[in-house]
Amino acid sequence: MLSLVQVLLSGVATGCVYGLVALSFVLIYKATETVSFMQGDLLMLGAFAALGLHLYVGLPLLPAAIVAVIAVGMLGAGLERAVLRRALGQPHLVAVLLTFGLGMMMRGGVASVPAAAQEVHRLPFAADTLAIGPLVLAASHLWVTLATVVLAGLLAAFFRYTRTGLALRACSEDARVAALMGVPVARMHTLSWALGAALAACAGLLLAPVTFVHLNMGFIALKAFPAAVLGGLTSLPGALVAGVFLGVVEALAGLALPEGVKDVVPYALLMGALLLFPQGLGARRAGRNGT
Amino acid sequence: MHIPSVIRFVRGLVLAVTAAALPAAAADIVGDEIVVGTVSDLSGPIALLGVPVRDGMLMRFDEANAAGGVHGRRIRLVVEDAGYDPKRAVLAARKLVQRDQAFAFIANMGTPVVMATMPIVLDAGRLHLFPFSPHSATYEPLHPLKFQNFAPYQDYMEAATRHMVRERGYERTCLLYQDDDYGLEVMKGVEKALSGLDRELIERTSYKRGATDLSSQIARLRAARCDFVVLATVVRETVAAMAEARKIGWELDMLVTASGYSAQTHELGGAAVEGLYGVSVLPHPYAEGANGQLAAWIERYRARFNAEPNVWSVMGYTLADLFVRTAEATGPELTVDAFARTLEGMEFSRDYFGSPNYRFTPEDHLGNRHGRLAQIRNGRWELITDYLQ
Amino acid sequence: MSQPIRAGAPTGARVAYTLRSLLPWVLILALAVAMLGADYALGKATLVATYAIAGLGVVIVVGQAGQIALGQAALVALGAYAQAVLVRHGVPAVLALLAGVAAGALGGALASLPARRLGGLYFGMSTLAFALIVEEALVRAEPLTHGSAGMTVAAFSILGWRADTTLAQAAVSLVAFAIAVFGCNRLLRSRHGRAWRAVRDDEVAAAACGIAPAAVKMQAFVVGGALSGLTGALYAHWIGFISPEQFGLVFSFELLMLAFIGGARRLAGAAWGALVIVVIPQAIAILRDLLPGDWARAAGLELVLFGAVIVAVVVLRPSGLAGGGARDGASGQNGA
Repeated sequence: MLSLVQVLLSGVATGCVYGLVALSFVLIYKATETVSFMQGDLLMLGAFAALGLHLYVGLPLLPAAIVAVIAVGMLGAGLERAVLRRALGQPHLVAVLLTFGLGMMMRGGVASVPAAAQEVHRLPFAADTLAIGPLVLAASHLWVTLATVVLAGLLAAFFRYTRTGLALRACSEDARVAALMGVPVARMHTLSWALGAALAACAGLLLAPVTFVHLNMGFIALKAFPAAVLGGLTSLPGALVAGVFLGVVEALAGLALPEGVKDVVPYALLMGALLLFPQGLGARRAGRNGT
Repeated sequence: MHIPSVIRFVRGLVLAVTAAALPAAAADIVGDEIVVGTVSDLSGPIALLGVPVRDGMLMRFDEANAAGGVHGRRIRLVVEDAGYDPKRAVLAARKLVQRDQAFAFIANMGTPVVMATMPIVLDAGRLHLFPFSPHSATYEPLHPLKFQNFAPYQDYMEAATRHMVRERGYERTCLLYQDDDYGLEVMKGVEKALSGLDRELIERTSYKRGATDLSSQIARLRAARCDFVVLATVVRETVAAMAEARKIGWELDMLVTASGYSAQTHELGGAAVEGLYGVSVLPHPYAEGANGQLAAWIERYRARFNAEPNVWSVMGYTLADLFVRTAEATGPELTVDAFARTLEGMEFSRDYFGSPNYRFTPEDHLGNRHGRLAQIRNGRWELITDYLQ
Repeated sequence: MSQPIRAGAPTGARVAYTLRSLLPWVLILALAVAMLGADYALGKATLVATYAIAGLGVVIVVGQAGQIALGQAALVALGAYAQAVLVRHGVPAVLALLAGVAAGALGGALASLPARRLGGLYFGMSTLAFALIVEEALVRAEPLTHGSAGMTVAAFSILGWRADTTLAQAAVSLVAFAIAVFGCNRLLRSRHGRAWRAVRDDEVAAAACGIAPAAVKMQAFVVGGALSGLTGALYAHWIGFISPEQFGLVFSFELLMLAFIGGARRLAGAAWGALVIVVIPQAIAILRDLLPGDWARAAGLELVLFGAVIVAVVVLRPSGLAGGGARDGASGQNGA
């Protein structure tokens, strides 16, 4: 029983990272109708940026993390201005390939730094454990969960209470109408890429104490896609919840089901959900899928 | 467009191609340069190995060249990055064979890459030396040009498991393995050791490369009441497995293969990996307490690459060293065949790195089968046995 | 835009047209042989032709039928494994080839089932999930596939003749590619091709004209799957060792990029795209050898350049290299 709870909590922590990446994906998709296959690479870049700032520039950990997140956000905005803008209104495949190519460049760029390519790194977070009665929690898992809740709260507040957040929402609902109402749509697109990139970087920072910082840490994004789709592709809370759900189901499957099932569970779930609830999941599908 | 002229052109082309495509002759050394090729992984899943191995080899070859080369010939290392992708590897191997006229291939990296390129290398009559793959096809069946010096996981993990179980009397041995050829090789070795001792493997559980979280695997092993877990993991998962077990207060012994024997394991794992057993096929070059020669070597490596050497750098350096010494022993008349026959009579005794004896014979092209046990004590690996026979 | 050659055009003109479209390829091959050496160049030609076959499949699924396919490599894997397993059990390679094609087609049919209920990106995601499930299934079907340890595949042989030289391998691949192009060309001109394009351009309108979009999508996937299966079956022989991880997401994306770079709406695009995808890493490797000093040792350089090429092509030539321009090859008649 205890081990069940233990595994469940680990699943929640992993799921939070899935959820955050899915959130960043949905944020971009909702606002710009473009599919980003580089969220995993942005995640990796964020973690490495923080690491570099901490180890080589000498910033303390927290400022390094904040600067890294802002820098990756700005990179997202810059890429939108320079390249990704071209994918607007194009078939999905254009954005898929563009972002995949950009992701490769980021991976290659990081791999060119010998210290990054040769070693797995550790962000010097405390590797403590916390005992609550018989239950033992890894501090890193607690951090991930807490930070996710805080981030989600901040995002919700941003969308609800700020003018910019409202404008962004309007833009996601219907860009044309938003433009007529005087919302600067182009700027909103840039903003959503910046936010999406920054969120991915946050996910990278949170993942760092769990899996360390290394070149392939972005592969976790592959689990975030099913989460994004399960959550409905256009729903921010949906993405987060689906991420946590996937994390938990995966962990439980690893405990209870035969070998190997664990790794397929997210995709099997995705298949099942897609087939069972195509309407429920893709309510806004019609007319918005210009392939 | 004149169709006849096109046809004539095509016919000429076909003839030219046919002539050129006859089996390429073995690259006997003609000029003043020996080209050594390596199809490495500098950007893929095992880039963490690829880069230091390449640097170690570069360093040894540079030293040989600085000392006037091998019988006056310079050695040039040509590195191709296949990123663990056999398609790229096949083309890279053909480039090395044909364009660079590579005399030998050293340390090709990753089982798919090695298996896809080995026939190309052998058909072209080039040496296939010391690939990074646990596949037994790298030394069996005996082939005049195939040589391997990495102890097979199956052999040394069998010896290590047997030693541990016998010495320490574990009752319930379990296995956590990476779900690929590496993990399967280790599983075979562990099972063989246990069946020799009339025991069974109580529980086995796997993870996929790149897995985030091992908590469910550890919970599963705990539920099986294991008292000894063999880890067929790489650095990151080794740390994760130990940390997870310690976190839930499960104190048991674990033994990791040479893939987890790395200074990174204790650098990343800290207190959580204290007491972990590992198998070493080559000691890590710790600067602290190094003998004079080793300390000087570490200094040279740092100066050259601006990075700390690790066990893989030593491995690369050693492989290149075996090559240079064999080439020297072959004499001025260097041919592929002469090199291979010389290597078959070579025995490399233990050096300042603390490496095992590498010994090749005409009947056996596998240079080493043995590893030794080590344990993490006070934040570094301490060797605790000699090479286990 | 090249003059369309209709089915009824005089034979002589068609032959001349075909030859003319082949000319750049012959030149490229000759140049490659002269510059790189025969084995290396033919090794490339083999892979280019083998890739291009699967590329044709992507052109049909993505360019003609307008679906997002993120898991084509899984269909290649099915073909490769069918071939490898059958050949290992003593089935002649040519017969096994048919089974490989059938396995790919069957996989394509399965992968397209969600299209009955899903469209656009959702369906794309389902193909991704399908691919990952297939990969895992291949790992688990250990008695048959040797799981993640992978399996070796013997050389391709027909009636005692073994294709173990690069020349023979290139010839087999080119013949297979030629047959595939011929078949695809006919299909595109047929009622099926028109239905695919109708569904791509406007699904609702197509349905109104009596075309059943789900059935049409499935046809496209079956054809695409069969072509992928053929690629897989040949690939298994040329590479000689297959393991499930080889057919992952990267392979799928390479195929997508291939079709996109070449021009996803044209069959000729598959060949141009395959050329670019196969040659670029090699060209980068050769360039790198020319660069001096430690700078060129940087491990990620090739990834950066490869990524840059993709981005540049997508940004600068969104219709692909073969899109527009008078010289493009075998299928001038289905230009956008």
